[in-house]
Formats: sequence, structure tokens, C-alpha cells
Amino acid sequence: MNGWYETLFVNPWPWWAGGLVIGLLVPLLYYFENVSLGVSTGYGSIIKAIFPGTRLKWFHSSTFADRWGWRVFFLGGMVLGAFISARLGGRPLFTGEMGLFTANVDWSLPLTALFFAVGGFFLGLGARIAGGCTSGHSIHGLATLQPSSLVATIGFLATGIISTYFVRVFLMGGLS
Amino acid sequence: MTGKTIYLVLGTAFGFALSRVGASEYDLIFGMFTGIDLTLVWVILTAIVVGHLGMRVLTAAGGKTRRGENIEPKTKPLRPTTIIGGGIMGIGWGLSGACPGTVLAQLGEGKIIALGTVLGLIVGTYVYALLTERGSV
Repeated sequence: MNGWYETLFVNPWPWWAGGLVIGLLVPLLYYFENVSLGVSTGYGSIIKAIFPGTRLKWFHSSTFADRWGWRVFFLGGMVLGAFISARLGGRPLFTGEMGLFTANVDWSLPLTALFFAVGGFFLGLGARIAGGCTSGHSIHGLATLQPSSLVATIGFLATGIISTYFVRVFLMGGLS
Repeated sequence: MTGKTIYLVLGTAFGFALSRVGASEYDLIFGMFTGIDLTLVWVILTAIVVGHLGMRVLTAAGGKTRRGENIEPKTKPLRPTTIIGGGIMGIGWGLSGACPGTVLAQLGEGKIIALGTVLGLIVGTYVYALLTERGSV
């Protein structure tokens, strides 16, 4: 059961294989289109694509000049890529599970989704204030040796450790 | 290939790799922030090193894009808000077990709860636009 198909499409990749593919996106995006790897700004592109008539000035900067900006395609590709991965790996089409969280926190699906939406709110707001997320700062920014990305990454990790501790102790009952 | 096809292809590779290496697994993010399983730390560090070396190769090859334009890595300014925003994002990373990129992979894998995270991300981004309108950030 350890043929090439299982190795590539079913068993999880080793860390170095994932890091290799993800890291190569930094030079490839520069080589092909001269843009920097980044995801979180793309949520602004999605808002602009859905509501092109928004009057907020932020959506009328050069970043969002094109209604169907490149980020919409890049983010859409990310969803598609994971969909292909799950299909080739023989996973269920939909699942209400979320690993250790749903295994240890006895909440209804809507309440759980609401809790995750609160998390998403912090992700969206924080990434914009910081000027990037894991891909833009921690990968692209650190790969191009930018001091601001080191500062942002320290911020991500510091509060990520704290909020995960909160979830572990108060919601999962101190899961060890 | 046109630009938008390239973005779709590279985005697909990104989402596929995130899913295959397990970056879309709640337990691996939980493991990273609790120290139980540092797989994702190694993934991110490898990506940084590969990205850095790849940029060096591009520079050594003349620093040009396929169309012959000069490659100028985008610089991100360091402001007091960088650490504040980083801290706010980290809270969300721990609460949702995803970052703005990996949640898209969760969505593609059919994890229904990720829909909540994505909606929250869109609202958070919109609130940022509202705050900039008032000059608050």
C-alpha cells in the first residue's frame, strides 16, 4: 500500500516537501507576474468583486483597481487545489469535523462555526493592520529578509500561543 | 499562458501543497502553538529558506521577469501597528486553527466550519476598510 499514488496523494507529505512547493511560489510569482506572495489582501479583492460599487476609499486604491484582480484567481486556485487533494485522497466531500476542537468541545455546528467566525474576524482585521499574514509576512517577507515581517511573525506566534492555550484550557478542559 | 491562468495554476499548487502537508489540519496548528507537534514550523522554515534561495537564483540570473521587467521585491513598512496587527491576527490563528491561507484549503477539503472562518475574515477585512475611512488605523 505504499506505491507512488499513496505517497503523493493519500499519505501526508513530509514537511520538507510541503515547504519546498510553498517556498518556490515566492520566486515563481515574481518571475511570472512580478507580484509578491500574499493571501490576506485577497479578501479585500473578494469584497471588491462582490460589491464593486462600495464607496469605501480603501477599495478604490490601486490594489483593487481591477474588479477581478489576480488575487481572486489565486485564492480561488487555493480552494480548488485543496479540493483536488481531498478528492484524490479519497476524503469525504463535506465534513463537520475540525480535528481536536470538535472532538473535545461539545458544541452544535452553528455555535462552533460562529466561534470560528470570531477567530476569522481577528485574522482579517489583524492581517490588514499588520500588512500581511503568514504567507505575505512569515514566508514572503522573511524570505526577502524584511524586518517588519519578523516583527509581525513574532506577534502572530505570541498571541497564537496564548489563544490556543485559552482554547485548550477553557474549552477543551485542559486537554493534554 | 495569460496572467490570470498562471495565478489560478500557482494558487492551485499552493492549496494542494497546504492540504497534502497537513497545514489545513486543525490538529497541526494546535500542535504548533502548544509545542506538541512542530511539523508546521518545519514547513514554514523550509518555505522561507527555499523562497530565499529561489530569489537569490532569480537575482543571479539577472533579476528579470519572463517579460524582461526588473524584479523588485515588495517591501512592507515597519510601523507600530505591525506588532499590534500581528498580535490581533495571532489571536485569530489560535482560535480558528487556521491562517488566511490555510482556511481556503480547509474550505476546498469540505470542512464546513471553515465557512465561518472565511466569513469572519471577510467581515474583519471590511471593518479594517471602515476604520481606515475614519482614519482610525
